[in-house]
Amino acid sequence: MTATIVEGKALLETVIASVVAGIGVTAVFAIAIWGVARSIDYSRDERPLAAGAAGAVAAFALLATTAALVVGILVMTGG
Amino acid sequence: MSSDVILVIVVGTALAFDFTNGFHDTANVVATSISTGAARPRVAIAMAALLNFAGAFISISVAATVANDVVNADVITPTIVFAGLIGAIAWNLITWYFGLPSSSSHALIGGVVGSAVAAAGFDAVLAEGLVGKVLIPAVVAPLLAFLVAGISIAIIYRVVGGERPGTVNRAFKYGQVVSGGLLALAHGTNDAQKTMGVITLALIANGSLGAGADPPFWVIFSAATAIALGTYSGGWRIIKTTGTRIIKMDAAQGFSSQGAGSAVILASTHFGFPLSTTHVINGGIMGAGAAKRLSAVRWGVAGNIVTAWVLTLPAAAGIGALAYGITHVFGDGALGPVVVTVASLALIAALFMRRAERGAPVAAEGA
Repeated sequence: MTATIVEGKALLETVIASVVAGIGVTAVFAIAIWGVARSIDYSRDERPLAAGAAGAVAAFALLATTAALVVGILVMTGG
Repeated sequence: MSSDVILVIVVGTALAFDFTNGFHDTANVVATSISTGAARPRVAIAMAALLNFAGAFISISVAATVANDVVNADVITPTIVFAGLIGAIAWNLITWYFGLPSSSSHALIGGVVGSAVAAAGFDAVLAEGLVGKVLIPAVVAPLLAFLVAGISIAIIYRVVGGERPGTVNRAFKYGQVVSGGLLALAHGTNDAQKTMGVITLALIANGSLGAGADPPFWVIFSAATAIALGTYSGGWRIIKTTGTRIIKMDAAQGFSSQGAGSAVILASTHFGFPLSTTHVINGGIMGAGAAKRLSAVRWGVAGNIVTAWVLTLPAAAGIGALAYGITHVFGDGALGPVVVTVASLALIAALFMRRAERGAPVAAEGA
């Protein structure tokens, strides 16, 4: 019984971790791509300020994606 | 002396199983990247092999589950482990021969459980561990990957749907280099550990390790090497199956399915759940396809995967039990495993020759 409860808790944590990591990282990476695409388009339209802002969003989102991956690997290797 | 001979045979058989696991799972790991054009086949396979090797060193939680939580190590002998491995290999070969997509992981666990029951009765099985750590995660994980990939791709289309397709596609291809690498790492860490667990179980059964011991470094290193070499050798003939037979994907779908697969496998590995990585990866692919358009998924192929999924555990258990029975006919010494090994090798050679004459199977198999 105790073992089942422990497995149930671990399974729930697996579900939560999978959802947060899988959907979260993908969403943040999609924002990065949106930022890159917008930045290119704004540059073409000669709107440097908007291009810079979109570029900053892209850079921040890319950084967040990388950080999430590094944290994920660190958690894994931590046992 | 006799038990040492059996142990050597068990270790050799387990590593051969690990090699074949990597061999036919190459398709599952790299097909998505290749089919969307994110990576060239040779580069994708080399990268997958390297990351499979690295992944094997990340964790030992799954190995501990296989070695300690599925069958009662007190009643297990190296011969039981050997018969279990034969059950798993035989089921993999049968499904390969008929082109059925199956799970090496479930075959391995089914084989060991079947031979343990044949040798020592149902008391040999740790029911809570088997249900809680194997059976329930086996159902939950592919569905979870399906859901995560589906939601992910919906978000992606929402966020970048209005942007230029060329830019978006190119960016997701770059993303797939990372997500594909992560999937290879995840595959290596979950699948190589099953072999480590089985070898550790045999070492405990032989008295070479104490009960509850972790896998020694040489076991981790040899399992990592075997799966990496198998991956590099690659299942070239079945590479197309996972990538294009279930759905035709764009780079964003490839990224979301690989991301979902990696997240589910890595999280499960962290908690010691031995999964079928094949089922998780296919679940992710189907989720990414179904979220875009339900008819994009070839549900017939998906149905075959589910059928093989349900059949694998009991079938491998039955063959494992039979293998133990045959081995036991020759007594408790090394003769039984030697005879069964020679007979198995002859059968494998015959199957390969017959298959070569009839043409290659097309379905993906895997862990």
